[in-house]
Amino acid sequence: MSRAEAEPAGPLDDRGPDSPGAASLPSPSVTPAGAADPHGAFVTLDQGTATLAGAIVGRVDGRWRLLAATALPAGSDRDALTRLLVDRLRAADPDLVEAALGRPGGGHELLDLPRLMARSVPAATLAVIAATERTRALLEEAAAGAGWNVVAGSAERTDPLELTRMATRPGVAALLVGVADPPDSDERDLAAELAVAAAGIAARRPGMRIFLAGPIPEAPLLDILRDPDLVRLAAPARAPGEPAASDLRMALADARRGPTDSRRAIAAAAGSLARVLGLRVEILEIGVAGATRILASPRPDGGSGVRVEVLEAPEAALFRVSSPGAIDRVDYWFTQGLDRARLRDRLAELAMAPWSDLEGDGALLRGAALRAALERLLVATVPVLGDGSVDLVIGAGGAWSAVPGPAAAHVIADVIRRPGAMQIAIDHARLLGPIGTIDDDAERDALVADLAEDLLLRLGTVVTPRGMRPNRLAGQLALTTSGGRSEVDLVAGGLTLVDLPPGARGTAELSFRGTPDLGPRGRRFQIPVTGGLAGLLLDLRDIPLRLPERPDRRRELLGTWEAALWPERDA
Amino acid sequence: MTGTLDLVPPRALLVPRPRVRLELQPGDRVIAEIGDAVHAGDVLAERIRDPRLVEVVLPRHGADQGIPLPGTWLPGEHARPGRRPGTPPGELLFEHGGRRRLATGSHPDHLSAPADGRLVEVHPGVALVLEIDGPGLVATELLGEPHAGRLVLLPEGSDPHLALDVALAGAVVVMPGRVDAEAITRARAMGIHGVVVGSLAERDRRDLAASAARQQAGPHHLASFGVLVLGGYLRRAFPSAVQAVLEAVSGALVGTVGDPPLLLLPADRLLPFPEPDRVVVRGGQAAGSEGRWLGPGGPRRLRGGVVVETGLVALDDGRTLPIAIGDLERFSVGAANR
Repeated sequence: MSRAEAEPAGPLDDRGPDSPGAASLPSPSVTPAGAADPHGAFVTLDQGTATLAGAIVGRVDGRWRLLAATALPAGSDRDALTRLLVDRLRAADPDLVEAALGRPGGGHELLDLPRLMARSVPAATLAVIAATERTRALLEEAAAGAGWNVVAGSAERTDPLELTRMATRPGVAALLVGVADPPDSDERDLAAELAVAAAGIAARRPGMRIFLAGPIPEAPLLDILRDPDLVRLAAPARAPGEPAASDLRMALADARRGPTDSRRAIAAAAGSLARVLGLRVEILEIGVAGATRILASPRPDGGSGVRVEVLEAPEAALFRVSSPGAIDRVDYWFTQGLDRARLRDRLAELAMAPWSDLEGDGALLRGAALRAALERLLVATVPVLGDGSVDLVIGAGGAWSAVPGPAAAHVIADVIRRPGAMQIAIDHARLLGPIGTIDDDAERDALVADLAEDLLLRLGTVVTPRGMRPNRLAGQLALTTSGGRSEVDLVAGGLTLVDLPPGARGTAELSFRGTPDLGPRGRRFQIPVTGGLAGLLLDLRDIPLRLPERPDRRRELLGTWEAALWPERDA
Repeated sequence: MTGTLDLVPPRALLVPRPRVRLELQPGDRVIAEIGDAVHAGDVLAERIRDPRLVEVVLPRHGADQGIPLPGTWLPGEHARPGRRPGTPPGELLFEHGGRRRLATGSHPDHLSAPADGRLVEVHPGVALVLEIDGPGLVATELLGEPHAGRLVLLPEGSDPHLALDVALAGAVVVMPGRVDAEAITRARAMGIHGVVVGSLAERDRRDLAASAARQQAGPHHLASFGVLVLGGYLRRAFPSAVQAVLEAVSGALVGTVGDPPLLLLPADRLLPFPEPDRVVVRGGQAAGSEGRWLGPGGPRRLRGGVVVETGLVALDDGRTLPIAIGDLERFSVGAANR
């Protein structure tokens, strides 16, 4: 299988000339990072399905800084949001406005600033029809990985009437017809019939896009349709993960989302982060309409290129609990008792109005839904992207802004159970998407390098050893920072929090009584750590995390951990 | 402060002359033609209750006038003893290998126009599209089928189990307050054409869907019936703007459709509109309240620790509160029927 590889000018940069993102990004070009002009500012906007996030980035003392940022429900007006930020900035620090613009200003000049804008393209529905069940499964996997909602059937199992009804139901935007290449013996006879059936479907839905994967004859479609919107794609691969599966997935992804799609743009920004920071970066983007997992890592040979792998998982959208067992997982993580019917109603209501009811247990419910969505994202993507350790995990998308920073760190620690150490952060100002729309890698890298500390909200470092016997003294931590040295006893089975504020760096020396797995196995480890809102989390719980079966005990235990990282939950 | 009002997401109240889709499935036979003016209750198509797939041989050369395209309704042919079997009438799915695949079936039901308007598009086996003469009140979902009837408002606080009776047969009944699947099933049994509710819980929706499926599977089909949900899943009163529109059209012939979800209103009624700066609180501690937008309230930390943008709202009860903008909505004022 091939992975979506984004070399500097890879498929992620395949933008059209008239794309809004490309058209509206003069600012960084005008005054690239490090240029002589000390002034300049631009506005970033990330238009999601649920959230409109905006920020003002300006040059201060010769480097780009985040000056203001906020987020509103998606239906809010973009100009109104920009005005709000400008007014706030002007009220807080008129000198800063002057410094950013290079002239005294009332501030409203900022309204005319260039804009970098990314949009989430809502997942559309793709009808998949295949000759056999085997091919249907491959096509369905590729389409789902490309971010489509999928309805699927095969000629092997489903009669043409049902296939027609499935493909013409409301909401279906495109049709994917496929056979393997070369076709299996049982597919050869069906390929032509599938093409005819597809033509019959397309005749009922004028303008429907049709993707043909594999040796499907075009003639029946051309005979019936006057001007068919046909796209030829690679045939589905034999096994998940083989190169053709990825080619097909990428082609389907490109067909679904435009050049300024925020998920595509975040992947480009992930590449810049990996290049600039020299770290293996994992981005977990979760929104109301979809979710994406992105891995970006520097080349092992030390070159300037990065390897970027992207996989979407529409079923991991924040409040989507239609898959079997999904509602149970939200209930599993929710620390407040709620009967299933009420829980289902609240989640359905949140799917309709994601910004409402953020107060009190509404935030806790979002935390539980976020954990469940993250689980679904991993289940959908680990078979393709693997579950290897990374240096920096970033939460992106609207889901992460609905919980306080330290609570977001706890969400990641609860769900991502890998032995090792990782830094964690969130894209708090939703800058990754807009920055990712910058075409030029060097320009984007320079901006990312300049913004560095403003770009991400650092939550801290999580250290997760595996293979310790619970409820016993497991060893000791000695943390050395510029402020001194502190020592903490480690007790297996729980979470240990060590204060390490944002911006602080240090070295954690871990001495264990046993030989736990922390990447490699060993007794003594020395790990560089960075601080954040949550500090240093020593997660000495099981891998995978085992919680009591009884709901009341589980809630109590989860609530104990939650309270440590989310003290305002009971306020 | 009018400019800052744009921070609050708008919600459409009315849609002028909406185009609505009425769903078809392969095998349904459209009777009306594009451009026809239709009135509420006019039969637009015959719907086949249980469509099935049949394969028939291609007719003898010259029997067809031209080459039929998929979606064409083909008449049946009588059998000729010893020469060729008969073919049922049906809709052509496609031709392949010397045979035709048709969608056909028996027991046609009627698909009627939910309001006065004009047929503007026909997509065989998929949908037909009507342009409605009057405006549509925006809803969130129609559970069931489109229908039409006289609008009757049950009084606020009335128990739907007691208030529903056979005198309401044929009407579209607005049920304020708490509504459950039992009340809706009772409404259907009374011959009521449809109900309009503020919200409906997921469990009641499932009960309703199961009940509709049983009706569909039964030999005796009841009249079409649907539940139009104006809000979501949690119980909530109608916003005053919605209530005012409903009161303005009480007693008139209305229709309901699901794509898009709308209550179709008569073209000849003067409808009230809310003040532009009026906002509705849909969540949080003041949920259900309404008031006037005063301006941005700045970022505030909510109970639970999340920091959000707020707006200052002068509530109708006299309080002025900073309320999370995510908990606010306002109705956008259209030009419909003004």
